[in-house]
Amino acid sequence: MPDAPVTAPLRPARLIILILVGVVIVLGFAVVGLVIGRSTTPTATEPADALATSTNKCVVCHRRTTPGIVEQFGHSTMAGAEVICQDCHQVDSDYPGASEHEGGYVLAQPTTAKCQRCHETEVAEYALSRHGLPAYVAYAGAEGLNETLLAEYESIPEGGFNPARLRERNALFALEGEAVTEFACKACHSIGNPAADGSVGDCSKCHLRHEFSLEQARKPETCNACHIGPDHPQFEIYVESPHGIAYHTGGESWHWEAEPGTLTVNDFPAPTCSICHMSGFGTSGTTHDVGSRLSWYLFAPVSERRPAWQDNQSRMQAICLECHNRSFIDGFYQAADAATLAINDWVEESDQIVAPLQDQGLLTEASFDEPLDFVYFELWHHWGRTAKFGAWMQGPDYTQWHGAYELLSDLAELRLMADERLGAAKGGD
Amino acid sequence: MATTATLAARLRLRWRKLPLTRDQFMLLMAATNEIFLGIDIYLAHSISGTISPNEWIPIVFGPLAGAALMIAGLIALRRRQLATAIASAVLLASIVVGLLGAYFHFVRAILPNAPAFERVSVGLLVWGPPILGPLMFSLVGLLGLSAAFIEDPADSGRLRLWGERRLQLPYRKTNAYFYMVSLGSLATVMSSVLDHARTGFENPWLWLPTGVGLFATLIAAVMAAAERTGRVESMIYNLTMLTLMLVGAGGLILHIQTNLTAGGTIVGERFIRGAPFLAPLLFANMGMLGLISRLPASETRMQPSSAIDGSAQVAVSGDRSS
Repeated sequence: MPDAPVTAPLRPARLIILILVGVVIVLGFAVVGLVIGRSTTPTATEPADALATSTNKCVVCHRRTTPGIVEQFGHSTMAGAEVICQDCHQVDSDYPGASEHEGGYVLAQPTTAKCQRCHETEVAEYALSRHGLPAYVAYAGAEGLNETLLAEYESIPEGGFNPARLRERNALFALEGEAVTEFACKACHSIGNPAADGSVGDCSKCHLRHEFSLEQARKPETCNACHIGPDHPQFEIYVESPHGIAYHTGGESWHWEAEPGTLTVNDFPAPTCSICHMSGFGTSGTTHDVGSRLSWYLFAPVSERRPAWQDNQSRMQAICLECHNRSFIDGFYQAADAATLAINDWVEESDQIVAPLQDQGLLTEASFDEPLDFVYFELWHHWGRTAKFGAWMQGPDYTQWHGAYELLSDLAELRLMADERLGAAKGGD
Repeated sequence: MATTATLAARLRLRWRKLPLTRDQFMLLMAATNEIFLGIDIYLAHSISGTISPNEWIPIVFGPLAGAALMIAGLIALRRRQLATAIASAVLLASIVVGLLGAYFHFVRAILPNAPAFERVSVGLLVWGPPILGPLMFSLVGLLGLSAAFIEDPADSGRLRLWGERRLQLPYRKTNAYFYMVSLGSLATVMSSVLDHARTGFENPWLWLPTGVGLFATLIAAVMAAAERTGRVESMIYNLTMLTLMLVGAGGLILHIQTNLTAGGTIVGERFIRGAPFLAPLLFANMGMLGLISRLPASETRMQPSSAIDGSAQVAVSGDRSS
């Protein structure tokens, strides 16, 4: 290579370039050394308060009036991503549900329409799931839905299933009344409430305000808020299951903040509720449609296969396959299918027991006004469901003592009650 | 010794049988880079599920710039000046897009309202948007601009601009390329380290790209600063660039393997949100650019016969003489 003809004026330029490049390289090497040093010696770091010196008027005022939420939001990834209070709360004066606040208009509780601006896919999946309108219709009935919402409801598997029965306003909800249901049914089922702006649902049911922590949303305790109790004790069943034991004995070391959609058994050696039903894991992609991996309508008195249940099943089994072999999974599904059908048989038997009473007008018109109604209801709503959930989620105590045993006990009691009433009716004749 | 001389002669022959000149290769690489950067950035910006308007800028710009450069390359066969004008405009825009992206990433990676000493931290550099990533657009723009203007005479550092205008660079174009390869390798290894820091460097294989990248930065800087380079430095440099290419290919395979499920299935989401499978190709890219920098600076291509026996040379224009 021939030398470049370097004239005297160019020598300083060369020197300047050399020094500049040298400084950049030294700084670059220093950053590399620093980053490697920090990353190989893990130290507990607290997220910075992204709002510490904020002059945003919401922050300034609410730091005085409701400091807790400002503190939470300041440490959230949302604040780190430059989302400000106004992005979620501020609306125009004519926005449905808007209320006047300090010279502007806000939504006290932002709707999913607001979340959708950044999380479009998640909101769409959620709206078309069991957590959407079916949760609302389950207590309030479908009569209040406009055409658009009714069409949306019908497009959801749970909305299209057994329309005659599921679209009625819930009899127990009506019986208990607003004063009670506000703290009862509604507390959970409002996850699917339609909002004034036409959107559906409430993301903050699972993503608690204002920290919006990935770890909080992923932990089973979040699902425990609703999926507990005699009618759907999924959390208790999970605790009893091998998966729950793994979580309770080793979960503190799992990677709760791992990037969504990339999770593997290295992050989660055993599944949580969200791993099986929502997370991107194995060949199944992330979803906010909690029903998209389910094979059966287990909530129903007599369970039926869901539409496209084979697709759902293959999505769920893709999760199982990350830890279990095909033979185990197939065997498990066959056994759980058989258990579901067996419980269906018992519930159908209860229908047959009650049918003559209905045919002969031996039941009162009102629901839940006599002991027989409660026994007949609990038989499937509590014990039938619990037995099925216990089978599918590997909680033997729930399949046995809190499920099948109670169901058989109620079946015997129901038979006795029906016989007595039929006998009395015959005697009366 | 005779065998070595024959081998060297054969290698020179191979260089001269290449269909393009060094600068044409550089421009082709710049065009390819623009397209790949657009794709890579699309995947990276898709992670959140929503691409904001600003995030579309590089996604749209990359393929358009790549296509424009390719078209400019074709136009250059007949209308050299027009082609240079198009390429210069595109490459200047590429520099601007890169700087703009670096700014947008930087303001996202700092917390302006955080306490004074927590606004910029190693943690934010690691977990925030990659600050150095967008600068690849600027580097490609700079490389392309350097290649777009003819150095006349070769290895003189004198660039022929429009008309009769000339610009004397402090260094030969070859040295300028080496500087860019050095800084590009540094940016590549820094991006790699910042990305891999998320895993705590638990995988011992991660030291390989780090070590090779840092060494490539140094050796390219040495080549750039030196007025004359010996055979040993050249050989070490060439081997380093080849190793960079191998590291890039290896990284590609490892990243793909990481993104596959345990059963070996490809799931789109894992490729978008998991290990960025195109990122390791930056190492290969820098290695390739480093080797292209070593090609003869001459704007003419030689016929094979002239290279062997030194007889009458048949100069083939590199379409750069107008």
